[in-house]
Amino acid sequence: MGIRFDSVTVAYDGNVVLDQLDLTVEPGEVMALLGPSGSGKTTALRAVAGFVRPVSGRVLLGGRDVTDLPPYRRGIGMVVQQYALFPHMRVDENVAFGLRARKAAKGEIRQRVAEALEMTGMAAYARRHPRELSGGQQQRVAIARALAIRPDVLLLDEPLSALDARLRSGMLSELARLHRELPDVSMLYVTHDQVEALTLADRIAVMDKARLQSCGTPKELYRSPADEFTASFVGGANLVPVTVGSGGVSFAGTELKVDTTGVLAGARATLCVRPHLVGLGEGPNRVVGTVTEIQWRGATHRLYVEVDGHSVMADLRELRNPPALGDAVALHFAPEDAVLLPAGVTHE
Amino acid sequence: MLVHSRGAKWAVWAVFLLLFVPLFALPLLVVLGASFATHWSSVLPSGLTTANYRAATRGEALQALTTSLLTAAGASLLALAVGTWAALAGAALKQRYRRVVDALFVLPVAVPSVVVGLSVLVAFSKPPMLLNGTRWIVILAHTVLVTAFAHQSVSAAVTRLDPAYEQAAASLGARPSTVLWRVRLPLLLPSLTAAAGLCFALSMGELSATMMLYPPDWTPLPVLIYAATDRGALFTGSAVAVVLMAATLLVLFALSRVRTRASYR
Amino acid sequence: MNRRLLWALPPVALLALFFLYPLALVVQQSFQPDSGGTSLTPYSDVFASEAFRNALWTTVWLAVASTIGCLVLGFLLSLVIAFVPFPGAKAVARFIDVFLSFPSFLITLALLFIYGSVGMANGAWTDLTGASSGPFQFLTTPWGVLLAEVTYFTPFVMRPLLAAFSQLDTAQLEAAGSLGARAPRIVRQVILPEALPALAAGGSLVLVLCLNEFGIVLFTGAKGVTTLPMLVYSKAILESDYPGACVVAVVNVLISVGLYGLYRVVSRRAGA
Repeated sequence: MGIRFDSVTVAYDGNVVLDQLDLTVEPGEVMALLGPSGSGKTTALRAVAGFVRPVSGRVLLGGRDVTDLPPYRRGIGMVVQQYALFPHMRVDENVAFGLRARKAAKGEIRQRVAEALEMTGMAAYARRHPRELSGGQQQRVAIARALAIRPDVLLLDEPLSALDARLRSGMLSELARLHRELPDVSMLYVTHDQVEALTLADRIAVMDKARLQSCGTPKELYRSPADEFTASFVGGANLVPVTVGSGGVSFAGTELKVDTTGVLAGARATLCVRPHLVGLGEGPNRVVGTVTEIQWRGATHRLYVEVDGHSVMADLRELRNPPALGDAVALHFAPEDAVLLPAGVTHE
Repeated sequence: MLVHSRGAKWAVWAVFLLLFVPLFALPLLVVLGASFATHWSSVLPSGLTTANYRAATRGEALQALTTSLLTAAGASLLALAVGTWAALAGAALKQRYRRVVDALFVLPVAVPSVVVGLSVLVAFSKPPMLLNGTRWIVILAHTVLVTAFAHQSVSAAVTRLDPAYEQAAASLGARPSTVLWRVRLPLLLPSLTAAAGLCFALSMGELSATMMLYPPDWTPLPVLIYAATDRGALFTGSAVAVVLMAATLLVLFALSRVRTRASYR
Repeated sequence: MNRRLLWALPPVALLALFFLYPLALVVQQSFQPDSGGTSLTPYSDVFASEAFRNALWTTVWLAVASTIGCLVLGFLLSLVIAFVPFPGAKAVARFIDVFLSFPSFLITLALLFIYGSVGMANGAWTDLTGASSGPFQFLTTPWGVLLAEVTYFTPFVMRPLLAAFSQLDTAQLEAAGSLGARAPRIVRQVILPEALPALAAGGSLVLVLCLNEFGIVLFTGAKGVTTLPMLVYSKAILESDYPGACVVAVVNVLISVGLYGLYRVVSRRAGA
């Protein structure tokens, strides 16, 4: 079952927290809503669940307008950051809750609870209380509870952010496996973590300041972001203001070769290059600057180089002889690794 | 933390004990001591006996104990029901209306109990609601007096309740009534038992309104204690007072056991 | 919205029937002298009587003095429990809770044994000096009531205070200490400002409870100490003067509810 936001606007006391969102999640698709806190991504999810009512616009589930439907009639599975497992019920009772609320038959409840716990690897913990489980285990139970009602749509609100880094990557692959096992379930996955979004999502909707900034597959957003916010929020990027010439741009008095298809000569634009695509030393598209900071990150060195008043980051495979602070260095990048974006905040 | 030198610490503790023991510990000990005595005209009581307790656990004293327990149990349960209902219904209202409900339900705390007694007496002494002279008027007055406390403590707990639980339940398809009975009330259970304990203790010790209302066949313990001390039977009165305290503590202890089980299930 | 208001209706209706309506009847009766009709006669009669003016004055000054006593004592004791902890401090805090669940008149009963004419203190005095009577004769005066009220109501101040103190970050105290502040200065400049909301809330609650206290005064059994609640009781039950009792009741309610309203405003500001 697909989800459709049809120009959905949500406001509290005149404060617009979600501004005319138009977005469609196809049946069986994993859509990540990615953005910083306050970007409106959680509000969008809660509008699907039915906990916030849009001031205008419609929310559709499988083509049906559910805007005025109370949450308990929507048949949606939801998993939240703090799990919200019922502390007074055992694990199996938690998982059975939705089925009991639907007055399912006893045998069916037993079978579906077992199935959901099996799927999340929690079958051995059925008679425990939530407080006797670790964070990761609680999260699995929360997912099992949501899946037990066999929802067509699963909403996940920052499901991994209460876990520590090691558990998080494990749960991430668990979620990916669940998605493979349940190919018909649409998932709306709210996160502020771009790694989670890139790993899990079929498509990513990037949100900022209550608005949808851009939407596309992870590769599209990463390789050819459409705007500065998307470029820096998804994967991190060097963004510098340039003036477009013919067949290239000029930056800091240097002519750089870039694909300028579709951009008028003489226009101002933003040049975007991912830090790991920047090389140290001589090469095509070369700029010169001063090292202002060096961070050793084990496998890589990150260099901050000031070029004509702009800070440029370069992620380099661990250097034998890294430059010193204040050294003048040359940086370069391949023309095909650069993307030209419309001029934005870097010009202000 | 505040005082670091050893000497100063001991000095502070000495002052604390000097204030605390005579003011708070001594009164309870004295009542306990007197309940076993027949005379007290020196530093320590004399004429040790258990006769006071024999008197305090039979006849009219035993009946008063039953009266008090029944009154307190009835009033607490009624107050808990009404107070919880008001707290839950109030929490769902808009700020403006919620304030009105809160203010109304807190009013009995501010109105003197004697006045509550008087007003109930004035209102229910004539048909169609003739309750004066029956036990019901005592239970009614107690209920009115403790409802405010029940409402206050339950509504504080309702505000603290994490909305994530109700929302999780709703997203799983539970209708509001199911959410209430299967999720919210079980989660509130510890606070409900705490509120019940508070109401019970208050009702057990209620004297002001009771003095205005009690019929001869429904005499709660505090009235009996007053009657005893008023006629000079201080030692018997003390024994009855100890029975009152013990009964109150016993019920509070039982309720706290329920609470511990409820919050660690 | 209407559905939700409807749900709030039953408890409010019960409260109206069993509390507000009777209270309204009291107000109504206060304007209906026994001679019949509706007039202000009960008010002028009551206000003219010396007994009422004495009771009003006694009630107010006793309540104010008790409240001040409770605040000072409660603050000092809570300070020690929270910041100069000793083994058993937790047990003391538990004891305070237990203390709160006992009726107030027990204190007066206990004081009779401690300071009564043949109590502990006077007994000790006569034993020691051979005098025929002891020096402690204050129990049947307002001072006896004051002592009992301070004793009984101090825990009502201590509970919110201890809660407030447990919220206070001890790092703040350590920081102040490391900056060279001595204990009195820390109390004045760090602890007291944090405790003010709890003090204000606890203080106003105690003030109202003292204004309304009945058991302590009744058990004191002193003819010299009459407070407003006592006057309501004696007029209604002993003299069967219902209009007079209702007048006193109205005055008492006005004072208490006014002050309690103030308490609610203060405590809401304090977030308590």
